[in-house]
Amino acid sequence: MVFVDVNIKPKLKERVVNRAVKALKQHKSLDRISLPAIALELGVSIEDLQNYYSSVEDIFLKAQKKDWESIHRYWDKQILKSRTPGDYKNAFDLFFEQFVSSLSDDADMRLEMSCYLPSCIKYREKNKKKLRDKFYKVIKRGWPGKEEKVLSRQTELITILFYGFVDHVVHIPKIERKRILRDFRNMLNLHLQDRKFF
Amino acid sequence: MIDKQTEKKVKIINKTVESMKKGNKGLSGVSLPDVAKELSMPLLELTQFFLTVEDVFLNEQKRINRKLEKYIDRKLATAKNPNDAKEILEGFLDKFIEILPLNAEVILAATFYLPLCLEERKRAKANYKIKLKMIIKKGWPGKIESVLDRQTDLVLLSLYGFYDYCSRVKIGERREVLIDFKNMLNLHLQDRLFF
Repeated sequence: MVFVDVNIKPKLKERVVNRAVKALKQHKSLDRISLPAIALELGVSIEDLQNYYSSVEDIFLKAQKKDWESIHRYWDKQILKSRTPGDYKNAFDLFFEQFVSSLSDDADMRLEMSCYLPSCIKYREKNKKKLRDKFYKVIKRGWPGKEEKVLSRQTELITILFYGFVDHVVHIPKIERKRILRDFRNMLNLHLQDRKFF
Repeated sequence: MIDKQTEKKVKIINKTVESMKKGNKGLSGVSLPDVAKELSMPLLELTQFFLTVEDVFLNEQKRINRKLEKYIDRKLATAKNPNDAKEILEGFLDKFIEILPLNAEVILAATFYLPLCLEERKRAKANYKIKLKMIIKKGWPGKIESVLDRQTDLVLLSLYGFYDYCSRVKIGERREVLIDFKNMLNLHLQDRLFF
């Protein structure tokens, strides 16, 4: 009987991503990172690696997708069980908390790649739209009574601010991330409570 | 009117940006010999302006930062009262969307990867932070130091989100969101209950 360790695949993937980030930190150039070199350093065959990744760009893209899919899964669950405006407000807050706590130590490098590599940029823009749609839904239920135009404009602003927050928070130490998160949420709440918006 | 040398420089920048956008390969798909060929310009002449592709992007990034920093410095030096300082923030945002080039998203992408551009990004961010703090202190007086610092951080991060947005949309859309963005910053800075 053959026992298959189901953890091998995720572990290898994690090691590959970590190795790629480490190499990028070291060489400061994507041109100096390659799949054969990563395979060699990890002691696996290039064929094994190519089962999961077609290029170095693909490593960063898949890592980016994995991170976001996990956040969306978590957030969807929170949204799904929300019933009252209070629940939706809570789901709104929990999204940011989950986002910050899921950030890795090398989140700055991962962000840089997501803003530079063409396929990662494409995914980033697609994900931005997805996030905007969810923000819209949550704001509509959490802060009811806003007219359509105000809702759309506030959603756009929240999305803009969130991406500024992402850029900021990945570049500061983990301990400071939680502090600025509190201020950031206060700022968003103030904005969403504003009855004089226009 | 711009002189011939500046005109050539602008052509090189635009062609490099265009090549990167077109290629879908990031910077590895762009080379100065190719840019020279497409512009029908001898490579030797092109290298009198830029020695590497990184140089082209760095130049463009610095050009934008220099203009904005100069604007803030000039206005801060002459600001006499809170209203003058408040106007600096508004004017800064107006100027920002006006000078941001059409293909700004390509420049922005490069600033996340190229080492010299990353360094310039870091430098500029630290500089904007200092200047924003001065503007907020003058424009919205009476805040205690810790509130001032925390609000400055929030305004700074908001600006970078705004940059990310504006770099991907046309100037008309930038203007549309600008009014809302200014209102939001004002609301935040007027907040007396901040902690």
